[in-house]
Amino acid sequence: MRAMGMDRLDGRNANQMRPLTCSRNLLHRAHGSARWSQGDTIVLAAVYGPKAGTRKGDDPEKASIEVIWKPKTGQIGKQEKEYEMILKRTLQSICLLTSHPNTTTSVIVQVVGDDGSLLPCAINASCAALVDAGIPLKHLAVAICCGLSETGSVILDPTKVEEQKMQAFMHLVFPNSPLAVLPEGSSSKHDEPFEHGIITSVTHGAMPERGYFNCLDRGRAASAAISEFLRRSLQKDGS
Amino acid sequence: MEQRSGSTWRMTVNEKKFIEDALVADLRIDGRRPFDYRRITIKFGREDGSSEVQLGETHVMGYVTAQLVQPYRDRPNEGTLAIFTEFSPMADPSFEAGRPGEYAIELGRVIDRGLRESRAVDMESLCVVAGKSVWAIRVDLHILDNGGNLIDAANIAALAALLTFRRPECTVGGDNGQEVVVHDPEVREPLPLTMHHLPVAVTFAYFGEGGIMVIDPSYKEEAVMGGRMTATINSNGDVCAIQKAGGEGVVSSVIMQCLRIASVKAADITSKIKNAVDAYNTERALQKVKRQSSSVAQNINIPDVTMKESNDDNASASNQTEMLVDEPERISKSEVYRSAQTITASIGDSTKRDKDTTMIGGPSNWDPYSKGISLSLIRSPKPLAGPVAVAKEQNEERMTQNPGEPNPEETTLPNSGPVESSDVSQRPSSPKSLKDAVKPKNRRKNKGAKNTS
Repeated sequence: MRAMGMDRLDGRNANQMRPLTCSRNLLHRAHGSARWSQGDTIVLAAVYGPKAGTRKGDDPEKASIEVIWKPKTGQIGKQEKEYEMILKRTLQSICLLTSHPNTTTSVIVQVVGDDGSLLPCAINASCAALVDAGIPLKHLAVAICCGLSETGSVILDPTKVEEQKMQAFMHLVFPNSPLAVLPEGSSSKHDEPFEHGIITSVTHGAMPERGYFNCLDRGRAASAAISEFLRRSLQKDGS
Repeated sequence: MEQRSGSTWRMTVNEKKFIEDALVADLRIDGRRPFDYRRITIKFGREDGSSEVQLGETHVMGYVTAQLVQPYRDRPNEGTLAIFTEFSPMADPSFEAGRPGEYAIELGRVIDRGLRESRAVDMESLCVVAGKSVWAIRVDLHILDNGGNLIDAANIAALAALLTFRRPECTVGGDNGQEVVVHDPEVREPLPLTMHHLPVAVTFAYFGEGGIMVIDPSYKEEAVMGGRMTATINSNGDVCAIQKAGGEGVVSSVIMQCLRIASVKAADITSKIKNAVDAYNTERALQKVKRQSSSVAQNINIPDVTMKESNDDNASASNQTEMLVDEPERISKSEVYRSAQTITASIGDSTKRDKDTTMIGGPSNWDPYSKGISLSLIRSPKPLAGPVAVAKEQNEERMTQNPGEPNPEETTLPNSGPVESSDVSQRPSSPKSLKDAVKPKNRRKNKGAKNTS
């Protein structure tokens, strides 16, 4: 069944993501580590738990998060610094910063393979690594990349080739769907479900307003699926 | 910086004494004998020239790239080779991002000397137009986990990456014979590098006034050792480089003995590297043949979620209880694996395990194959040691606990002992795709789209 009539190079349809895999606790020295892959985009994230002291400018009343992004090859340039900044802000919004004031938690991201949708893959990996390290979080962050073509159709999880052909693409991060004991209770409190909030949205390229909202809707639907996968994979270990 | 001081790990006096006393009795804390290597696992990535090596707990990733540059003036018809080592902060809390410490520089220099000055890589074949353009090979080594003996692991990673690297073919043309045309890998098959020999680094650690020596020190042994020596030897018995920088003084007879042992170990490691590379090359050749079928199979490939739907339909209550019963068994098994890994850590045996090749194109992406297995297992009354229930997807990795069941390498999920799971050899995945083609598929993604659009 072809949605939108798009024929993607690897045979997926517009709403299909590449297969996800997540493995945790890979490294022995790091306090937490996770490896997340979406097709050929593979990211390894490691977390070192709270160390004493924050950096000079940071607020000592809260914990601070330090992100180091390591590309596969080459010097660290502006693109890497930008990724570090986005990742840091995203993780700051999901961590309970007041539980360990005046400490620094380091998150190190190593790119193992890059075939499009790199930043969302890194965010997912970092979130899984934080869970593996036992850092207290408010909720999990689920990231997805959506591409918008000239015709206005949305595709999920584009590969590198597809990203270059797209008119615009965006990285979206949503909180994961909460598992409430009383489903009625939680939905009556808010007008909009909790998981519809957007933690981060980074767009590349110009797009019409409706296109952006289409991508948001599609991204939300996908994020529900990814958050299910994440929850299941985190529960699996139990330790 | 004060934030780093909190993370320096200091060895206690008790631990130090214990390690030294045990070594006097020829015992090492991880159960190895003094001249045993830890288990070496060599894996390759999707692209040519990317390798991941695990030596016990040490984890190093190597990546080779090439580009056309102008040659050096004094060597106009030779290519260049550059080694960059990245001591990632994820490997050790004491590694700082940014400036490489002296150990990082020493490691880079030892590997560089072993490869370049022994002429392991043929530089003249990298020349395209003499004096104008040659290939510059760049090797990036990322240290991901510091479990001791980084030099050996990084060296193996560099060699594995160089052996599997393919540079694009280029032809010289144009009116004056100076124009270089680089061909796309799809158009013309890229070429491998010419390696004359494989220089393998073997590291020894000395304890107790140079009397006791061990090979392949682990992280704790490195903290206790008095001195270290690295010998880079190839399988022909040629000594390519020796590095002994300070530390305890050692009698020359001991050094000669070390070199003899090193040449034996080097031959062993060389054969392991070659086996892994051969396995990768055959996979790669098969991949080229299978490319047509791979696109068909991927069409069938559904994101994990949809399988969940069909699985929920199929899973019976009995399956679920079976899963619950097996959970504690699986968890204890994984704990056993983890403790086994730290205690025995294995002895450098030359099993064929290191021909695991993960992430070679399709198979590792193809969850449906494992889904194919899991669904068929539900249907068949075969009892499995690992949890069978397919109520949730992603239980393919549970199959990894089952020794008989092959598994798509590091797929999914929280294996506490991923090293073990990756040891299971790769399974032929083509037969499963047909099974999967028969299964009804619920497009949950489309369902979601239908709701929103």
